[in-house]
Amino acid sequence: MTKKTSIRMSGLGGQGVVTAAHILGSAATRDGLVSTVNPFFGAEKRLAPAESYVRVSSDRIFERGEILFPNVIMIFHPHVISLGKCYTMPFFAGLQPGGLMLVNGDSAPELSQDEREALKRLDAKLYYFPATKLALEVGGTDLATNMAMLGGLIEITHIVSWPGITDALAERFGGGKFVASATTAALDDALKSKYEKISQLLEQNMAVMQAVGPTIKEVTF
Amino acid sequence: MSKPMLKMTTAFADVMPAEYVELVQNGPFGKGYGVADLGSFKELIEEHPLCAGCGLALAVRLIMASLPTPEDTVVVGSTGCSSLAFPQIALQNIHSLFGNQNAVASGLKRALKLRFPDKHKDVLVVAGDGATADIGLDMVMHSWFRGEKLATIMLDNEAYANTGGQESGMSPEGCVLNMAPTGKKFKKIALPEIARESGCAYVASVTPVQPRKLEKAVRRAILVAREVGPTYVQIFVPCPTNFKFKPQETLAKAKQKEKDQTYPLREFITPEAQAYLAALEGGGKHD
Amino acid sequence: MPEQKVVAPEFMFTEAAREEQFITGSEAVREAVRRANVDMAVSYPITPQSESMHLVGDIWAEGYIKDYYRGENEFAVMSAVAGAAMGGVRVFTATGGPGTMRALEMFPTWVGARLPIVCAFFTRGINSPLTIQPDTIEMAHLLDTGMIMLHAEDAQDLYDMILKAFIIAEQTEVHIPVGVFADGFFVTHTRDKVRVAPADIKLPPYKPYSAPVPVMDMENVPFRQMRDPFVMKSNYVSYAAHASWQQEVLAAAERARPFIRQYLGGLIEVENEQADVLVLAGGTAVCQSREAIAMAREEGIEAGLIKIKSLRPFPGEELRALTAKAKAVIVPEFNRVGWLSRELRNVVQNPDRVVAGPRVFGGMTMPPDLILSEIRRYARE
Repeated sequence: MTKKTSIRMSGLGGQGVVTAAHILGSAATRDGLVSTVNPFFGAEKRLAPAESYVRVSSDRIFERGEILFPNVIMIFHPHVISLGKCYTMPFFAGLQPGGLMLVNGDSAPELSQDEREALKRLDAKLYYFPATKLALEVGGTDLATNMAMLGGLIEITHIVSWPGITDALAERFGGGKFVASATTAALDDALKSKYEKISQLLEQNMAVMQAVGPTIKEVTF
Repeated sequence: MSKPMLKMTTAFADVMPAEYVELVQNGPFGKGYGVADLGSFKELIEEHPLCAGCGLALAVRLIMASLPTPEDTVVVGSTGCSSLAFPQIALQNIHSLFGNQNAVASGLKRALKLRFPDKHKDVLVVAGDGATADIGLDMVMHSWFRGEKLATIMLDNEAYANTGGQESGMSPEGCVLNMAPTGKKFKKIALPEIARESGCAYVASVTPVQPRKLEKAVRRAILVAREVGPTYVQIFVPCPTNFKFKPQETLAKAKQKEKDQTYPLREFITPEAQAYLAALEGGGKHD
Repeated sequence: MPEQKVVAPEFMFTEAAREEQFITGSEAVREAVRRANVDMAVSYPITPQSESMHLVGDIWAEGYIKDYYRGENEFAVMSAVAGAAMGGVRVFTATGGPGTMRALEMFPTWVGARLPIVCAFFTRGINSPLTIQPDTIEMAHLLDTGMIMLHAEDAQDLYDMILKAFIIAEQTEVHIPVGVFADGFFVTHTRDKVRVAPADIKLPPYKPYSAPVPVMDMENVPFRQMRDPFVMKSNYVSYAAHASWQQEVLAAAERARPFIRQYLGGLIEVENEQADVLVLAGGTAVCQSREAIAMAREEGIEAGLIKIKSLRPFPGEELRALTAKAKAVIVPEFNRVGWLSRELRNVVQNPDRVVAGPRVFGGMTMPPDLILSEIRRYARE
């Protein structure tokens, strides 16, 4: 069977899970891989659960829709875990054996004894890093949280190359109209207004991604 | 319509219906006739299946004789008594569904503008009070809000006549009709005022009692809709069948309502439409 | 206005060099409409359709479409495109879910009026409580409107089917509307590789006078349509007129079959049809079935796939022949009622072999594992 990686991104509306998924899929495509990307959200807007699904493979991908059995889970906000703001409970439901979890947080997520045991049986790995803090400190805006999350993903999995992600980012913000949803388009303009120049935006975003590496911590069960 | 369109194919001349032959020989296309010429030319409307004394039928006849350029006029109608009359007219006309006439007309007008950018193709909406003020009101008003270049005419018989005389929004308050067995509980909808406030450049309410006045309103509505914006004409068309009076009393009923102002006649013209009409009517044949 | 060269449909569909783009289904709609020489489009927002008609608006602003506006509701939009089509121009619109239901009254009249409108439907649930999630139940309500119905599996299908729909719809002997259906979110919002023709070519323009009915422009005869409005009367002539017209409209859809075969390569697509167990699916259920069939193969179980591309006209004869020897035909569906399995049962011999499921509804995707377990069960029997 061909190697396929299924990545489930759970966050809150406005955090950029849709954009992060797009950039990741686009980077994978640039690296010569096959990818499908789809966002899933309710009619709610900011701070409501938002999920995106990215499948990356060396071969044609047929499967559609939400990823029920992910290899990688990315949690963009601690509330996804603590307040159950995701489409599956617990947040790691369906995680495949040997799967990875990347959590945005200044401290390790609180897990119950049952959850620790379940994750241990799965031989899962759990990493956390302060993505929002890095976005603010390095990028100057919490809207770059998704960039930090992507940076963490690349650092840990090497699923896409740094040149691939750089090009994908340039395509996403460097012009050309992109529409994932009307709300995402509106947020784009808000983000662009924070930077005088697109090039500055790209540089800042890359800087945020690359700043993640040294801050990654692993939780052992 | 390009000129050679209305021509008899000689080989078929002997089998064509008489009224078609008359239309070719003595029809109104390209002639600029008006209601004053009625009786001297073959009219656009053929025999109709409406009731004896039908005010709506009379209004349709007058409207058809008032068109500035019948050869380039397409009518969009709606369900109701008038939908029984429109298949009888010698103009291309659309019946789509009940209430969607102004939406259909919006699409049609824009399509004809794309295909014939240098020509006036008049799209005339003619529908009843139920179609215009009740079931289709949102589409009527939105065509006005959008500024669609349409002339909208309501044939107001103050009831759903074709379905057996039910109350409509245009029925007078207190009127006892089917579905209003104890009398209508709210006022007649003030659609002329709504039209004025919704972007219509020309609004008139008339009756068939004064055919020249009706003609003037219809012509003005069509002409203003060509260049300035949407227009609305409301015509009171008494219904002997559902309001239970004798067929020969139709005009008297209309006259009575004009006189006691229970059907107020009015005309609203925006300054822009006024200027446009003044330029057009300077040396016009009719008025 | 951007420079675009008119090319033959065959060139657009097969010969033109294609560029691969990583785009969503909504963007695939934009790319199809950009090349379709559309005169006019009318939009109205509804999730998950909205993005597609935003993007169509954007290409109108760029000059690829001559007229475009946002209508006041779906019924009005479907009425407006009907008026425009009667006026002799090529039109496009899209809706989905509750929007489809709001506009439902119009669809049979499009067919009766012989309007070659192309409308995309992005399916979503229509029940209460309110949902915006994908569900194909609205398609059950459209099966008998008389329009041609094509079901896209993915964004590539959506792009191809929209372009081809115009050419199929506008054949004089067909000249009825085509609905191109795609599952909301799974296609509209999913980003995938789509191969598109160059943007500087477009389809030939619509020829209004190729219509089998008069165009409402007062430039073609007849303009006196009838002497006596017999259609509204209760008499033999009236009944005969209505009955024969309804049959003519049905016949028009039948006459679309050769064009669907020519342009879409058939009403269905088949893989491994000699297998004992077959899976019949449309839309996203095809993707999930492909995955399930690949998983079954890993386990040494062979299963065949029938992808249904045209629901109206329905490939009844093809399905009857293909399924003649199968032990079971599994019909996975993204709706509660299982309308596709009902359709299949009507045409196959021994309809007990039709496995009416699995089904998901309410918005969740169908895990391929559900289809796999049905394949396993019937392969072992």
